[in-house]
Amino acid sequence: MDLKNAMLKYRWLILVLFFVALVTVPIWGPDYILLFCLFFCLYLALAQMWNLLVGFSGLLSLGQQAFIGFSGYTVAVLTDYYSVNIWISVIIGGFLSVLLALVMSLFIFRMKGIYFAIGTWIFAEMLLLWFSNWKYVKYGTGMFIKPEPPPCMTTIYYSSLIMAIGGLVLLYFILRSKIGLGLMAMRDDEEVSETIGIELFRSKLFCFLVAAFMTGLTAGVLYIFQIYIQPYRAFGIDWTIILLFIVVIGGIGTVEGPIVGAFVYVLLSQWLGEYASISLLLTGIIAITIILVAPKGIMGTIHEKTGFVILSPRRT
Amino acid sequence: MEALLQPIINGVLLGGLYAVIALGMSIIFGIVKLVNLAHGDLMILSSYLSLVLVSWLGVSPLVSLFMIVPVMFFVGFFVQGVLLNRVLGKEMEPPLLVAFGLSVILQNILLLVFTPDARSLMSNLAVKTIPLGETLTLPVLSLVNFFGGFIVILAVYLLFRNTYLGRAIRAASDDEMSTRLMGVNTKRIYAHAMGIAMMTAAVAGVLVGMTFTFYPHTGPQFLIISFGVIIIGGLGSMKGCLAGGLILALAQTLGAHFIGTGYQLLFGYGVLLVVLGIRPQGLFGKI
Amino acid sequence: MKLALEVSGLDVYYKDFHALWDVSMEVRQGEIISIIGANGAGKSTLFKTISGILVPTRGTIHLFGERIEGLPPHVTVPKGMTLVPEGRRIFPRLTVYENLIMGSYTPRSRSKREDAMGQIYNLFPILKARRNQMGNTLSGGEQQMLAIGRALMSDPKIVLCDEISLGLAPLVIKSIYRRLGQINQYGITIVLVEQDVKRSLKAASRVYVMLEGKMVLTGEPFSLSEEEIKKAYFGI
Repeated sequence: MDLKNAMLKYRWLILVLFFVALVTVPIWGPDYILLFCLFFCLYLALAQMWNLLVGFSGLLSLGQQAFIGFSGYTVAVLTDYYSVNIWISVIIGGFLSVLLALVMSLFIFRMKGIYFAIGTWIFAEMLLLWFSNWKYVKYGTGMFIKPEPPPCMTTIYYSSLIMAIGGLVLLYFILRSKIGLGLMAMRDDEEVSETIGIELFRSKLFCFLVAAFMTGLTAGVLYIFQIYIQPYRAFGIDWTIILLFIVVIGGIGTVEGPIVGAFVYVLLSQWLGEYASISLLLTGIIAITIILVAPKGIMGTIHEKTGFVILSPRRT
Repeated sequence: MEALLQPIINGVLLGGLYAVIALGMSIIFGIVKLVNLAHGDLMILSSYLSLVLVSWLGVSPLVSLFMIVPVMFFVGFFVQGVLLNRVLGKEMEPPLLVAFGLSVILQNILLLVFTPDARSLMSNLAVKTIPLGETLTLPVLSLVNFFGGFIVILAVYLLFRNTYLGRAIRAASDDEMSTRLMGVNTKRIYAHAMGIAMMTAAVAGVLVGMTFTFYPHTGPQFLIISFGVIIIGGLGSMKGCLAGGLILALAQTLGAHFIGTGYQLLFGYGVLLVVLGIRPQGLFGKI
Repeated sequence: MKLALEVSGLDVYYKDFHALWDVSMEVRQGEIISIIGANGAGKSTLFKTISGILVPTRGTIHLFGERIEGLPPHVTVPKGMTLVPEGRRIFPRLTVYENLIMGSYTPRSRSKREDAMGQIYNLFPILKARRNQMGNTLSGGEQQMLAIGRALMSDPKIVLCDEISLGLAPLVIKSIYRRLGQINQYGITIVLVEQDVKRSLKAASRVYVMLEGKMVLTGEPFSLSEEEIKKAYFGI
């Protein structure tokens, strides 16, 4: 059989191999590879959720950092002030993010398009201002996350892996469900979908809440690793920039896109290490170039040209 | 009551500045139907350009405008013509993402070139004030800001009303296809519109630079202010810009007076969110 | 004498939908031609392609001997062709005067602007009366006149009129067609797209019938029987 059919048949094999490699990294991989995979998994989880919102639900969120910071601080506060178990704190962080999302939605879900995007951004900025002026969380100096006992690297890594896989699985099943069908229909033809208005509203809200939950959980794990949280980084727009880059490079609206994008991003950022501004600058330049030249991103362009899809959101 | 007059005066004068800050964004949002997320950064770029000219040539910031305004026109023309025009289409995301990317690039270039230090455009206007009665003062700089802003808005208004370019821009905003049928190259018109918007951003940038300290990352703050002005005042309306600017500035100065300066930004954002939720088309909005 | 407009073997697609099939047409200078056909026959698509809004996949279009297929409107309008679009589409927030001015955007027509406007005011006195009113305050008939006037401002040699009688009262239509006749006497070639068969047969010197994206019949109005036209129109 020709290459294309061979690839299609073995696509599951590719996935499985990839999965096995990731799971066993703590065994065979040196520290720097483990670190790479850790970040890869965390960013992948965050990016998949952003992809769910932007690529599939038509919700351009410029404010995911609201959940990242909120959840991170939840973990910090719970472990530091109340000595709550670290993993329970993470889960609580996830749920509090959902609550935050609910509150946000009260304001911004009536807004369309760009207004919605700006609304999310403003919320994040408000949180930034609030937290950096709040005595309870030590103002702008930030807080330490000191879990007793501190989890080992392997545990942290596996949590991040769970986040990555969880995010992927969540995305995949939502898209294959009835909700996903409605969302994809809306993507194809906005006018027709106006007639099924309420359904869509609920679906979008659902996705928004799910994304908040997952983002919150992932942020919790992230901050366990980082040990230190500070409002300007936690609630900063930089997060959105990174997510934007990952999803656009990989391919908005594809399921595999963020996988490729996260890989490229972590690679770039490890390479450019200390040069934070250059790294962001390059990120911006590459992202713009891709949007202009190959707007569907790497995987999106592959989809279009060859029809090769590993994880298809469409039901066949 | 007397105590309120000073914040009110400050608010009104600040309002003129806010209006001209938002003007460029209003033009593009209203006409090309595109949200220029890099607007604030482009404005701050002008502030930095002025800084360079002031230190090289020793001129006052206002004089540097003579060079910066034309330069910014070309910057805008280029950005729209080469970058944004290519992604204009049915979908909302690509232009937003390109503008966002541009914002990131600008901020980081400025950071690399100028370091994160605070900067300011010095001029002897900054300290002069005109006393009004016994307790009130009119800072000269604020007056310059207000009238500068007003003049720019008037100039743009006249341009839109009385020139072929201006009419073509308005026509394209009404009905793009018909405008094309008139033999108008609408993509070039959009580039011109962006050029004009950037000229106003240049003026805004210099005025802001003289009034506040700025950093490479100051841009987004003013982006949010521009949004506030446009949302309150309404899209695509010059009157709206002035009104929105006045209201937002007054809200801030009065807010600072009553609540305290630390939370005034928060207050401003809050008001913005509420308006966004209740009446997104603003006071004089046409869209 | 060169043909004002020559369309040859045009194929046009809307994404995957094949809208025009091998369409050909000739328009001689000074003629009034009409294209008739039911809704969806492809008439507007043809006009949009000729004026440059759409790009054909195959075929050629010649304007006074010059190839123009695929060229955008801002290139073809200065060459002497304008389109009065379907649905009037005047600029609602510009005044009558400003709408007309927009018509003379191209440099060649700008210099003749004052004269042109005078002529249009003569042709359509109501426009002169309403010249400072906003476009969206005009009645349907007045808007149609404005749309035609606006098209004439570009000093065209050929005008394409897309369904100008749509939604207008019979008396108004009659009056507009009379002016069309006057415009034609100035030497301006006119191509009409109409659903109103009787009206266009009266006005035109030659007629084309379209059906489902194809040209199915052509001839002079008096040499075609009603039967033939009906058959072609409905595809029986």
